[in-house]
Amino acid sequence: MADAASPARRSTGTLPAASVEPVTTANRSFISRVIHAALPFVVIAIVWQIASFYTKPFLFPGLGSVAKSFWTILTTWDLLSQGLVTWARLVVAVAVSLVIGVPIGLAMGLSPRVDEFLRPIVKFIMGVPALNWVIIVIIWFSSTELRIGFVLVVLCTPVTVYCVYDSVRAIDRKLTDMVLAFGASPIQHVRLLLWPYVKASAFTATKLNVANAVRTVIVAELVGAPLGIGKELDLAKNVFDMATVLAWTIFLVLMALIMAQGIEYAERVTLRWRGDSRGRE
Amino acid sequence: MSAAASVVATTAVPKLSVEHARKSFRQANGAGVDAIADLSFTVRSGEYVAIVGPTGAGKSVLLDCLLGLKTLDAGRILIDGRPVQNFVREQKGHITRIFQEDRLLPWLSAKDNAAIGLQMQGVTEKDRRATAAKWLDAVGLSGFKEALPRELSGGMRQRVNIARAFAPNPELVLLDEAFSALDDVTAMRLRQDFKTLAQAQSTTFLIVTHSIDEAIFLANRILVFGAPARLMAEIAVPPHAFEDRMLSDQIKDEVRKLIAAGARVQ
Repeated sequence: MADAASPARRSTGTLPAASVEPVTTANRSFISRVIHAALPFVVIAIVWQIASFYTKPFLFPGLGSVAKSFWTILTTWDLLSQGLVTWARLVVAVAVSLVIGVPIGLAMGLSPRVDEFLRPIVKFIMGVPALNWVIIVIIWFSSTELRIGFVLVVLCTPVTVYCVYDSVRAIDRKLTDMVLAFGASPIQHVRLLLWPYVKASAFTATKLNVANAVRTVIVAELVGAPLGIGKELDLAKNVFDMATVLAWTIFLVLMALIMAQGIEYAERVTLRWRGDSRGRE
Repeated sequence: MSAAASVVATTAVPKLSVEHARKSFRQANGAGVDAIADLSFTVRSGEYVAIVGPTGAGKSVLLDCLLGLKTLDAGRILIDGRPVQNFVREQKGHITRIFQEDRLLPWLSAKDNAAIGLQMQGVTEKDRRATAAKWLDAVGLSGFKEALPRELSGGMRQRVNIARAFAPNPELVLLDEAFSALDDVTAMRLRQDFKTLAQAQSTTFLIVTHSIDEAIFLANRILVFGAPARLMAEIAVPPHAFEDRMLSDQIKDEVRKLIAAGARVQ
């Protein structure tokens, strides 16, 4: 063991001082970034806590109460499962919007006729506020899941369509000529050239849609959903339990952030040829 | 006798035949502009023919027509006596092009990029990767087969571009100012390597270039185009013309005068 350990010690010991220095600087830079990122939240928390001393708990509950509610959500299956239901709705809606939006965006990007026909419709749908859709689906459907799913999909799909459409139109004409010059069939053209661009745009669309859907799903769930975070928020609202409302809000934001991180990770792995994602970190 | 000249074949049916080709485009203001005007020439199998001409002489448009990417307004292009569209459709990868910019797909490795033509031909993955690897070895990229284009220098990417054009075992290779985007030293080295590789193939080469030196170095016949594309003169390049300073200067002077006479007012 001693023999095995000693070369490692020797090699560490012979490291030039210059190679240690950047690590220290990097650590300092990381700590500095963490402090800078946390500072606004610390200030808000202090102000909030001070406010809680002078107001009623249903307006500004103490941070301890919020933390307790949050812990209760995490450790109580009945509550945590409500969060998972909302998460599942988000995932399914975003996935369905990809399944519907990618072919539409591809068709619009490739065919001026399809583009001419569908673009006004997609634009119109994009212009309809989420709340209007909620009202429309209440009249249209009796199933709660269908209502929520429809609202989310109808809001996410146009974003996917536009992302894919733009990416197809942005493909370098020279690459298209190259692929065609080698005699690519339409299927080979799509698989070899279009699909990698579509994949990249699908990731962008998914990130936008997650952020979009997180904001919308609660509105949809508030209107009569028997399960989900929206229902829990409605219950908390009825008893003026601001600590629980805040705890669910934090839960929702964290859920969106974790999903965004997961998508970014998948994007980095899938689109490693771009080699730029990590550089931006 | 130069190696380039030695590969000139004498088959009766020309490999490539362009007959009274015409092509024009409509500009944004509605006015028509001729790119190719009554162009006729032939290239025999195994020949190395360079096309030089002023900017805007429609040389790249001609290459697009040769690959079936654009169609002529009038006239016809025949490969082995068959219309070019039929040839391109039926024999994928038998005409390939070495582009001015490498045009590599950024998400594919050097090997997969080199195998694109083979993929179009329906070659199995195993065989096409083996053939692409062989061609990457031939262009001096043995250690970079799995590298992505962004990990390669400009010269290396152009070598992949060359490997991609050779890999499908083409009958006709079109060079579209293939070395003009590189620095002089890299371009000269790559031209030399290209010539060595080309001489080992029984392939016909049509070389579009702005460099008269390159035309003399690579070709055994130079076609001088005017603008719009029309044949102004054919100049035979004798063996070892590139090494014979006096002879190459003579050819250069002649070509320059013809280009100046044929240039369209820009």
